[in-house]
Amino acid sequence: MRPVWEARRSAWAAAAGPRSRAEVGAGLADRLRSGGASFDEAVRELQVLMLRAAWHQVARTPGVYAKLGARRVEDAVAAAADEATMAVLSRLDTFEGRSRFTTWAFKFGILHAAVELRRASWRHVEIDLVALGDQVSTMTSPEHHAEGGDLERAVRAAIDSALTAHQRAVMTALLLENVPMDVLVERLGSTRNALYKTLHDARKRVRADLTRRGYLTDSTINEEVIP
Amino acid sequence: MTGRHRQLTPEAIRRLTMSTEPWMSCDDCFDEIDRYVESVLAGNSHISPRLRAHLIGCSACFEEAWSLLLLAADEQRTKRRQALTRMRDDLDCAGLPWPDPPINGARRRTP
Repeated sequence: MRPVWEARRSAWAAAAGPRSRAEVGAGLADRLRSGGASFDEAVRELQVLMLRAAWHQVARTPGVYAKLGARRVEDAVAAAADEATMAVLSRLDTFEGRSRFTTWAFKFGILHAAVELRRASWRHVEIDLVALGDQVSTMTSPEHHAEGGDLERAVRAAIDSALTAHQRAVMTALLLENVPMDVLVERLGSTRNALYKTLHDARKRVRADLTRRGYLTDSTINEEVIP
Repeated sequence: MTGRHRQLTPEAIRRLTMSTEPWMSCDDCFDEIDRYVESVLAGNSHISPRLRAHLIGCSACFEEAWSLLLLAADEQRTKRRQALTRMRDDLDCAGLPWPDPPINGARRRTP
């Protein structure tokens, strides 16, 4: 049976008209910039590209129909494509022609669709950041010390002692509970840059602590965790 | 989702302790990723140390880069498998903390 998203994607592709893939996007950046008579048609072409990117992202998100249902998936795709179209138009002046326009534009479509689908999938999942922050602390209790190896205990201790509560909660949510970055961004009212910086700094602190206690030989090399 | 106790697997320890230096923000990654993808598709890929560090450190940007590579490969009628192999080589996926996504469907975190 043909997947629903394939049928939908084909329908959107058909809306692009008889152009070949190579023709779609050819000169599109210029026509979008010109603002002339062909502008409206160029925007429609861009919308089709963004819909294609969004459906591509749906196809790469297994189980999304089971979680959201067809209607919500379609709504998410439409919203993502609209947002991506606006984002491309607003950043058109930053396109320098160092990659194909379609590749440059597709990254907006994929980003907006991925964010929309992640957030929709987690909309009704409660995330208790305080509990997540405490989780690592409770793992350093004596009964947990009896389990696991020396390195595991050292990593737990580093997370418990070297990080702030915020760093601990973010690190636990992203790396142990697999909460998507964009979901956490939304719940915390933050930005992807800010959360990734928090994670980056937390890893740095953990590594520094492990290095100080002799578990890492070089703070710059990933593979040198001593088992 | 509350404080469940869990063992830290070797995979989890690697995610927690990996170096993500030199620093690169998600926005800078977004700015560069289309040029990197094009270089992969052209068969002359070159990845900067900061972009590599970011892609192995940020699962969201990694998933989107992987997805963009597949879509652009389709657009340019380049073989997906070759492109993905080049990207795996660039990232040295032996050190990648995220499971290697399949070509036709994404590994996906589930709530």
